[in-house]
Amino acid sequence: MIWAIAVGLLGLLALSIPVGIVLFLLGFGVDTFFSPFPLIRGLGNLVWSTSNNATLIAIPFFVLLGEILVRSGIATRTYAALDRWVSWMPGGLVHANVATATMFSATSGSSVATAATVATVAMPQAEKLGYDPRLFSGAIAAGGTLGIMIPPSINLIVYGFLTQTSIPQLFLAGLVPGIALALGFMAITVVICMIRPNLGGTRRTFPFSEMLRALVQLIPIVLLFTIIIGTIYKGWATPTEAAAVGVAGAVVIAAMFGGVSIRMFAESILGTVKITSMIMLVVIGASFLNFTLASAGMGRELQALLDGLGLSPMGLIFVVVLIYIVLGFFIETLSLMVVTIPIIVPLVVAQGFDPIWFGILMIVLIEMALITPPVGLNLYVVQGARKGGRMSEVMVGAIPYVVAMLIMVGLLIAFPSIALYLPSVLSEG
Amino acid sequence: EELSVVGSWSGLPLHIQYEAPFWGEKLPAASGGDITVALTTHNQMNLGVGDVFRLLGDGVYDVAMTVADYAVADAPELEGLDVPLVAVTADEARAMVDAARPMVTEIYHDRFNSHVLAIAPYPPQVVFCNAEVNELADLEGLKVRASGRMTAKFLEALGAEGVNVAFSEVPGALQKGVVDCAVTGAGSGYSAGWWEVSTHLMPIPLGGWDSVVTAMNLDKWNSLDADTQALIQEQVTAEFEDPAWDSAQDALVNDIACLTGNGDCPAGEARNMTLVEVSDADFAKARDVLVSEVLPEWAERAGGDWAERWNASVGEVVGVKIGG
Amino acid sequence: MEDGLLRTLRRLNHGIALLTGVLLMGCAAFVLADIVLRQLGSSFGGTDEISGYVMAIATSWGMAFTLLELGHVRIDILRGRVNALGRALFDLFAMAALTVTVTLIAWKCWPVVARSLANDSKANTPLETPLALVQVPWFAGWVWFAVMAWLTLIAATLMIVRGRFQAAEDAIGCFGEEEMVK
Ligand code: NA
Ligand code: NA
Repeated sequence: MIWAIAVGLLGLLALSIPVGIVLFLLGFGVDTFFSPFPLIRGLGNLVWSTSNNATLIAIPFFVLLGEILVRSGIATRTYAALDRWVSWMPGGLVHANVATATMFSATSGSSVATAATVATVAMPQAEKLGYDPRLFSGAIAAGGTLGIMIPPSINLIVYGFLTQTSIPQLFLAGLVPGIALALGFMAITVVICMIRPNLGGTRRTFPFSEMLRALVQLIPIVLLFTIIIGTIYKGWATPTEAAAVGVAGAVVIAAMFGGVSIRMFAESILGTVKITSMIMLVVIGASFLNFTLASAGMGRELQALLDGLGLSPMGLIFVVVLIYIVLGFFIETLSLMVVTIPIIVPLVVAQGFDPIWFGILMIVLIEMALITPPVGLNLYVVQGARKGGRMSEVMVGAIPYVVAMLIMVGLLIAFPSIALYLPSVLSEG
Repeated sequence: EELSVVGSWSGLPLHIQYEAPFWGEKLPAASGGDITVALTTHNQMNLGVGDVFRLLGDGVYDVAMTVADYAVADAPELEGLDVPLVAVTADEARAMVDAARPMVTEIYHDRFNSHVLAIAPYPPQVVFCNAEVNELADLEGLKVRASGRMTAKFLEALGAEGVNVAFSEVPGALQKGVVDCAVTGAGSGYSAGWWEVSTHLMPIPLGGWDSVVTAMNLDKWNSLDADTQALIQEQVTAEFEDPAWDSAQDALVNDIACLTGNGDCPAGEARNMTLVEVSDADFAKARDVLVSEVLPEWAERAGGDWAERWNASVGEVVGVKIGG
Repeated sequence: MEDGLLRTLRRLNHGIALLTGVLLMGCAAFVLADIVLRQLGSSFGGTDEISGYVMAIATSWGMAFTLLELGHVRIDILRGRVNALGRALFDLFAMAALTVTVTLIAWKCWPVVARSLANDSKANTPLETPLALVQVPWFAGWVWFAVMAWLTLIAATLMIVRGRFQAAEDAIGCFGEEEMVK
């Protein structure tokens, strides 16, 4: 059954059927060929229960927040300010891409939204200043993935929701690995540009007074981050509710520091509805597929497969990492999570691993999936913001950052406290 | 005969100790191999808890079990199976459930197209507070996390404020003061570490006993021959329902010992929550609220002659009468 | 004729998407108000329940807008390597698969509403929301999506039959004009 699903998935995706619809079709296939029960009778209930969900409303809220920041001009000015601070390093403006992505990650729960935000404001600079298009766009695609590691994070909310793990704890756990990854991205950029200086374009230095003045432009984004995270850790709101606080914060901040208009709100709303429905079709399809797979005994089959390998706990983790890397080439990330979590997480937890630690490990692997071809949503987002140029350039440019993520995976396995130290310290009464 | 069985929460003792061994081993063995079982649980299928019995009635699987209270959206009369505070010991709870069984059977027949095989207990739903609480009246004005409609209504009638928080968020919510108290099973609260973030434990079933109903799709049930039906019913009662009830009282005593340190804790290290003794007068007052406000409201929600039927069965056993 | 049809569909769903977004913003405001009220020692109660209903309804009604904006994500591996006719066939096949699937979903959503109506089901919460009250608009959104999908499929088929591949690609292709600026 597992192989039939894999082949079916790749085949249907290759036919360019919408990803959400592919998942429904696979579910129908599992029902028809692998289940003696009329699972399709559960379809309506599954669609209702999956979408009638107060946790998932964080998705439209975060997308809306990002839309408002871009359309009010705050995103552009944040980028310019960070350019003043980090472009002196070998690699120049490439660092500003990573730094801006890191900043926006702290207010956005979505990697796609983060990458799109940065790409929109950064891409015009690349041509103007003569950067190598590969590294420049690869850094945006990779930096954008931090959106789901640095809190807040839709994917961590979904993980917490599916595994009944504390979402604030997951948010705390993602902070250090997220910042470490950002620094890792910058380090690898420096190394590459020291070896091949022509890739990095010009290093840019600015007078210190200008750097100081630029700091003012970072106030809105820092303020917004403080509002969102503050309400969660003050106990005023749950993580989901904090997304609503973020929307309100973005509106106020846009009014104070940027420009607001009816037209801007209308465009933000339309963008939000479009992206939310796209994500939800995938989530609902994945939920139905997951239901058919569980009914048809996928869990037992995968369990038997993994049991048959006779793995040690560490062996299990390595196999699981491998599974995610391979699946990550092909599968859209939110569906990858929703489909695999109910099967993989119980196995991992049964071996004595911490579910919060594994959530963070999974997020790194999911981030990797966002920038590995053929199915890498962030690659497409960045390519879409470019004026011309080949798709393969973005893919090649992302490779160094995949290496950085692989190193991060190794570090997390070797030193789980990278993720677990912060939650363990801060959750003590 | 292959049965597709959907169990209750896979992480809780009822499933691990009773459901999984019964459906996985005992029943197939007792049938001499005639019955085979494919077992999963509703949380492994990621089903909405309110969908479990709806889908059972639709024939998506053959057997399902989960908390009856999850299904009251479709059957408000079912709330009468599990009334808070009227049954304090496991024996009383079992008597209550047995008295309600004919009504439950009828409800499942009519509303969910299914046949009730067993009603087993989760541990009673007790109160964890991160606030100084010495009697029930102290709940007034506190923010309390409850699950289920009747418990929430009861807390409101006691003057508390109901707050909705997911189970996994409760520890954080208690610690940060988003809620002052939370209601859950004593054992779940112990294993989920609620004792770390709360100080006072009120060991009374303010949330009832959370009865778990096991039922089979009616068409499937009717398609079985009389011998198979008899075998399944006998086995379920003797090998699943009875043992689950027999251990319920001990489990409650142990769980409370684990949380408060008064007595032995077989599950691990005992903790030191303050045990709040509820006085008889206090208890009587709460039951007054129940009888004068909460149950009449339920009678109205349920409609029909459910109140009279409840009075004549469950009410007789627990000594409570709705409407005088 | 097919251009007029598509223009009408786009205009209709543009309006619906605006309403859907206003509903979402209203929900955000409601949640915010509840957070503030809680600090003052009070609460509406049931914000999470209402957020869930808003999510279900907003999701189903936003689907058709996303379809017409070419926003439902597709993989462009093989399709990107063929000529205009090939692309048109890929798009038509994908559109047909979507239309049939969505029709089936809408069809299977009806029993959920029917059961809530038959049982007069009320949410298992203190609000006791009648489920049909929120499930009927949710169901209507899926029916709307299915109807929009059929009309779009018909319009695109007409375009391809008449050899208007570029117009068909604009209608049911992989990427919208301002795709990816999000
Ligand atoms: Na984030
Ligand atoms: Na990928």
